[in-house]
Amino acid sequence: MKIGKKKDSVEIPTASMADIAFLLIIFFMVTTVFSATKGLDFKLPKDEDEPLETETIEAVYIKVMPGGGVLVDQQPMNLDQILPYLQPKLERWPDKPVILYTVPEAQYGDMIAVYDVLKQAPKQIGLDVKGIAIPTYKEIEQYKQIFGYDPFG
Amino acid sequence: MKIHKSKDISAFIPTASMADIAFLLIIFFMVTTVFQVDKTSVNLPATWERPTEIPRGAAFVVLAKLAGAGGEELVYKFSAGEDTSQIIPTGTEGLYFEVLNITSTNPLHPFVIKIDKTVEYKLVDEVLDSLRRAGAQDLILMTEQRTVSS
Repeated sequence: MKIGKKKDSVEIPTASMADIAFLLIIFFMVTTVFSATKGLDFKLPKDEDEPLETETIEAVYIKVMPGGGVLVDQQPMNLDQILPYLQPKLERWPDKPVILYTVPEAQYGDMIAVYDVLKQAPKQIGLDVKGIAIPTYKEIEQYKQIFGYDPFG
Repeated sequence: MKIHKSKDISAFIPTASMADIAFLLIIFFMVTTVFQVDKTSVNLPATWERPTEIPRGAAFVVLAKLAGAGGEELVYKFSAGEDTSQIIPTGTEGLYFEVLNITSTNPLHPFVIKIDKTVEYKLVDEVLDSLRRAGAQDLILMTEQRTVSS
């Protein structure tokens, strides 16, 4: 007597594939972060660098006061007046240094607001503010000792 | 004369391409997902310009105002980039040694500065000075996107 062999069809069970796929989609949607992972770049000078010999008289001094007030070369200004003031100077001297000093009692957000304005220069006036310097208080003290006066008054 | 009723057409949603769409979405989210090494809730300053994306593996220096038992307190945190951020109880001096550990092998390692916008600038200055002394050069000042409503 012949015994009839039944052939089992071979297949991968895919019934739960859609569930797994949507589970993964939901996981990645929840964990993805788009907006908060950007910022403004800033280069710190090397500690061992020799102080650069710059024509300090030609620099633009910006002083950020508590409450967000700004003095540019000792003149009070609104944020939207800074770039029009800088434009003729940058046209004449594209590498013009801009020194951004923030008063110790001012808030970090006040300084960032001014730094943001300077970073907007290429879009607003078509010129780049290349030489933005943010000196630390120790550097300003050294400057005072060398030159004998406080450039930020 | 009798008018024959048209045959009912069975309504159904075509689902043949659903798996393709699902896998396309999975691949998109897998590629774009960045797992943050620092999840500290910080009231970041908002800026119009945010040109620099934070690279993978960047170290985080965090100065946040967190609610504590005695009210709001300032907390210094640090992450080398691979692990979650840890509180640095010794403040800027502790940060100096953490940063020095990284810059001694790679002086161009990027550091993300994540600081609450209401922090007094003299504390920010201390952080920047510690980073400079430790040899850090490449900083990213983390901000939120400013919008017209903000």
